[in-house]
Amino acid sequence: MASPIEFEQIQAKLDEDSQVREEIRNIVQTLERQARSTESILSRVHSIPQANLSETLNEVYGAISKQRETIAQLNELTSEHPYYKYNQMWSKRMETASFHLVLWGFLCSYAKGFNGPEGMLYPIEEIGRLLGIPVMLKETDAFHLTIEEYLLSLILLIDELARLAVNSVTLGDYQVPLQISQFVKDLHAGFQILNLKNDTLRRRSDSIKYSVKKIEDVVYDLSLRNLVPRATQEAAQAPPTEQGTMPD
Amino acid sequence: MAGSKHPHSDDETAAPPISLFIPMFETFRRELDEHHDRRERIVKAARDITALSKKMIFSLQRVRTLSHPLPPAVTKENHPWQSQIISLFASLTPDLQGLNVFRYQRNISGGIQEYIEAISFQHYLETQQLITFSEAQAKLPPGIKLTEDDYVLGLFDLVGELMRFAITSMATTGALPRGAPPEGGDDGEGREILTDLRSLRTCLESLYTTSRGTDFISLKRDVEKKMEVMRTCVEKVEIAVYGMIIRGGERPKGWVPDLGGG
Repeated sequence: MASPIEFEQIQAKLDEDSQVREEIRNIVQTLERQARSTESILSRVHSIPQANLSETLNEVYGAISKQRETIAQLNELTSEHPYYKYNQMWSKRMETASFHLVLWGFLCSYAKGFNGPEGMLYPIEEIGRLLGIPVMLKETDAFHLTIEEYLLSLILLIDELARLAVNSVTLGDYQVPLQISQFVKDLHAGFQILNLKNDTLRRRSDSIKYSVKKIEDVVYDLSLRNLVPRATQEAAQAPPTEQGTMPD
Repeated sequence: MAGSKHPHSDDETAAPPISLFIPMFETFRRELDEHHDRRERIVKAARDITALSKKMIFSLQRVRTLSHPLPPAVTKENHPWQSQIISLFASLTPDLQGLNVFRYQRNISGGIQEYIEAISFQHYLETQQLITFSEAQAKLPPGIKLTEDDYVLGLFDLVGELMRFAITSMATTGALPRGAPPEGGDDGEGREILTDLRSLRTCLESLYTTSRGTDFISLKRDVEKKMEVMRTCVEKVEIAVYGMIIRGGERPKGWVPDLGGG
C-alpha cells in the first residue's frame, strides 16, 4: 500500500533540503565568527574615552565590511529558495550585523570631523545600503533585512548604550550619558507606539525600560553631584523619577 | 562599503532626532499591524480547519468497510465540512502568496497536517491505498502549498486513525478489516489492514530526517515525537490480532479493548 518509490521521492526532497541547510549553516558559522570579532573590537568603546575613538571606529568598520561580504554569499546561495523557508537560520546574524552598524553610526556621530547631526540613528534603509541588501520587502521573495531584525538590533543597541552610560562615567566622560539619555528616550518613545503582539519582539522589548531606567539613574547621579557639564545640563531632561521599580 | 565612513543623508541635517525616529516607527507600526492581522487570520483559519478535519475523521471512523465507496450517510455528513475546509483554505490564498508562503508556514501547517490526516484516511478507506504527495497536493486549493514535511507528519497521524479503525472493527465484527480481493483472482483474499500498517511503518521509519536537527523549526523534532506514537499504534493492532487468534471465540460478545493512549 505505501509505495516505497513515493517515499524515495520524498526522501530525495528532504535530502535536497538538508543539503541546502548544510551549506547555509557553513556560511552562517563564518558570519558568526566575524560577528564575534566585530563585537570584540566594539567592546573597547567601554574603556576608551570618546575623544580617542576614531581608530577603533575605523577598525569596526573594517570588521563589518567582512560581515557584508559573507552576507553577500548568503544572499547568493539562498536566492534560489523561498526567503522565509530558511530565514530563521540566519536571522540572528542579520540582527547583530545591524546592531553593529547602528552602534557604530551612533558613536561616529560624536567623532571629530563628523558633519551630520549628533545622536544619529541609521534608518533601516541605510543599514540595508551599508549591508548591500534590500530592506522591508513585502512582495518580492528575496533576501532582505526585515523590520523585526532591525527593531531587535535597536533593542541590542539600547542595552549596549545603557552599559556605555555607566562606563563612560568611569572614564570621566560625563557628557556621554546625557547624549545617550536623550537618544534612548527617543528610541523608547518610538517603541512605545508599536502594537506588539506576544512574540520575540514583545519579549525582547521588555528590556528597554530597564535600560532607560539604568541610564536615567546615571544622569541622576551626575546631576545630583553637579557633574553634568553646564552647557548640556539644560538640554538634559529633568532628573529622573524616584528610584524604584519601573511600571511594567 | 561604498561611500564615506561617516555618511549621512541630506534630510538628516535639518531636523532634530526625535522627528526622525517617530515617522520611521510609524511605518514599522503599519507594517507590523498588517503582519499581525494576517498572522491572526491564518492562525484562526488553521484552527478551524483542524476542528473540521477532526469532525471528518470522527465520521470516517464509523465506516466498517475497506476499499469500498463510503456509505452515503458518511459522505453526506462529511461533504459540507470538506467544502468549508476548502473555502477556508481558499480564503487564505491572498495571504499566502510569494514571500508569505513560507513566512506563515508554521502558522498554517497544523491545519494542513490535520487535513492531510483526514483525506489520507478517507483515501485509504475508499481505495486501500496510501494517498500520494501529488494526490494530496491536488486536494488543496491552488495557491496553498503542501510541503513534504506536512505530508509526512500527516501520515504519521494517519497510522493512529488506522489503528482505531482496525481495533474498532475487530471489536464490533470480530475480524480484522480486509480489502477487496485482487481483481481477476478466483479465490484470492484482499490484503489485511495489518499488512498495510506494517508497510507504512517501514516506510516512515526509513525516512532520514536527522540532518535537520539543529534548526529552529525542525522536522526531526516533530518526527521523533510522532515516531514512538506511530510504533505503539502498529503494535496495538498486532497485539489485538494476537488476542483475537489465541482467544478467538472465547471473547464475550460486545467486549471492547482499551483504545486509550493512541
